[in-house]
Amino acid sequence: MIITKDHIGGMGFLLLSAFYGYYAGDIPLLPGDEFEPFHARTVPYALAILGGVISLALLLTAERKAEKRLRLNNYDFALVAKLLVLIVIFGLALEWIGFLLATVLFLIAGFWLLGERRTKMLLMVSVPFAVGIWFILAKLLDIYLAPGQLFVQLFGG
Amino acid sequence: MLDGIFTGLSTAVMPFNLLMVVVGCFAGTFIGMLPGLGPISAVALMIPITYGLDPSSGIILMAGVYYGAVFGGSTSSILINAPGCASTVVTAFDGYPLAQQNQAGKALALAAYSSFTGGTVGALALLFAAPALAKVSLSFQSTDYFALMILGLTAVAAFSGKGQVLKALLMTVFGLMIATVGTDTTSGATRFTFGSIDLIDGVSFLLLAMATFALTEVVMTVLKGEHREEEEQVDMSKLGSMKLSREEIKEVAPTIGRSSVFGFLVGVLPGAGATIASFLAYGLERNLASAKEKLKFGKGSLRGLAAPESANNAASTGSFVPLLTLGIPGSGTTAIMLGALIAYGIQPGPRLFLDHPDVFWSVIISMYFGNLVLLILNLPLIPYISKLLVIPRPILIPMILFFSITGVYLVSFNTFDIQMMVVITVIAIFLKLLEFPMAPMLLGYILGGLMETNLSRALVISDGSLAFLWERPLTLAIISIAVIVLVVPPLLDLVRNRNRTRGPEVAVNEGEG
Repeated sequence: MIITKDHIGGMGFLLLSAFYGYYAGDIPLLPGDEFEPFHARTVPYALAILGGVISLALLLTAERKAEKRLRLNNYDFALVAKLLVLIVIFGLALEWIGFLLATVLFLIAGFWLLGERRTKMLLMVSVPFAVGIWFILAKLLDIYLAPGQLFVQLFGG
Repeated sequence: MLDGIFTGLSTAVMPFNLLMVVVGCFAGTFIGMLPGLGPISAVALMIPITYGLDPSSGIILMAGVYYGAVFGGSTSSILINAPGCASTVVTAFDGYPLAQQNQAGKALALAAYSSFTGGTVGALALLFAAPALAKVSLSFQSTDYFALMILGLTAVAAFSGKGQVLKALLMTVFGLMIATVGTDTTSGATRFTFGSIDLIDGVSFLLLAMATFALTEVVMTVLKGEHREEEEQVDMSKLGSMKLSREEIKEVAPTIGRSSVFGFLVGVLPGAGATIASFLAYGLERNLASAKEKLKFGKGSLRGLAAPESANNAASTGSFVPLLTLGIPGSGTTAIMLGALIAYGIQPGPRLFLDHPDVFWSVIISMYFGNLVLLILNLPLIPYISKLLVIPRPILIPMILFFSITGVYLVSFNTFDIQMMVVITVIAIFLKLLEFPMAPMLLGYILGGLMETNLSRALVISDGSLAFLWERPLTLAIISIAVIVLVVPPLLDLVRNRNRTRGPEVAVNEGEG
């Protein structure tokens, strides 16, 4: 039996619709709302049903051709995962070490992950770029960029 | 109308707004040139910048970026056979062969002239079509709006390509589901927040647009390993002359005229957009060509280059008609602009040209300026702008990632948004690998809130009965069109498939046009 991209997608959306419909029942209603023609659950219920019906239609009409199979062997998932983890760390670093330092480190790590190994290049691009952006935001546009909590805790606010 | 044109003109010629047109065109051209990043990503990247501007300037900047990105896409199609976006794929059919014959300069110039004419015809048509349509739509009621939104959403799904209709519909529903997360505007109830304070305001439009179109597109190039590919060095000495001979102008002039009008009309249809317009215009031109000329198509035909270029720019302009007059975006890019307008507190629709004439008219007028800027400034600078293509990808990609993330962070200053972006990006990557289109989701998300409000109003007025869908002739007409748009293409496919299985004599033209 051939399982194609359409089958996987259809199944995923069918589960999502079921999950969505189930949790739509948790939406709090105002007293007497259940007798109204329209309340906060109306659209979610309708969407859950619509999503379920279309997912089933996709599952039933999906072509069973070998070339429609999901093939993941030519993709660099490891590198993408590293980049996404880097983004999450960048988010945390923004809070702890501040905008400027976080940006420099994010860019250096990003360049390095994508294959740039020359130390001079890593620093020559990331530092002026980060300082330039910081200057535009903090000095020209007057946007308040909070200093990192780490520095605040170490040296006081 | 003349008053409006003058209002628009006076807003559009303000030095700052003129600067926005120029900056937008340049930024758009550059981003559009990068393979994988198209007009949607370019416009999405601009959203955070526009938040600090007044509505007219913001939308003018976005329109400039839109134009620039379509033009930039053509440039990379011609020079390196790597279309920056779907709407310039057809440009590469004849543009790249021309560049290989050392006529890249001529191809770029023709692309610019065709884009200019397409954009100009589009802007002129918009000047007349938009106010006329807006006047008609002033009589619309909530039931008609609800029907229009259904039409907009189904049209996007219907035009999404063979075998993609159900997937596009599912993505629309997914977008509508995301729109329900957060506090319900009518009852105040919280929905699908799972106790998280960060979700009480729902998923922000900026976050969703940036995650699905900027971040995902860049990450996809890494996933496919495209960041390792060295871009071909563009040899400026081989660009050749940028001049067209009188015979060549004579040859392409009717093509440009035809394709511009055709492109505009296709662009006006909700959901059709520039990509479909360029493919249809190319197909139309090939069918109109003599047998001898037909052979040239795909090998460096000037007509084959002029047709899609005029059509995609005219269609880009055309897609502003439903956006400005009905509040229904005609394409993914205009959907992002709709979101930006709503963020400004401006409700696009028939009342836009009454309530905010400066926005309405200045967008139309600045479109014309955008075309001029592309022709006068960008064309001579193309050899220099295309040098930016040489920036190594390992340097460029983290910078674009940085802009996407900080664009969202600097609006909310909440790191939860960055984590949310990563989650949405992961989901979007898998959906893209499963070949689900992204634009219908964004459209569903943007129209979701409005649709719910209008449905609630219509249902309360009709006391809970769905009869409003067929009792008002206008609503019924719009709903009927939506049904036709949705049902006819699959039926045609079915008939075609049946004919094909019946006998091999039925030739279906499924060439690259």
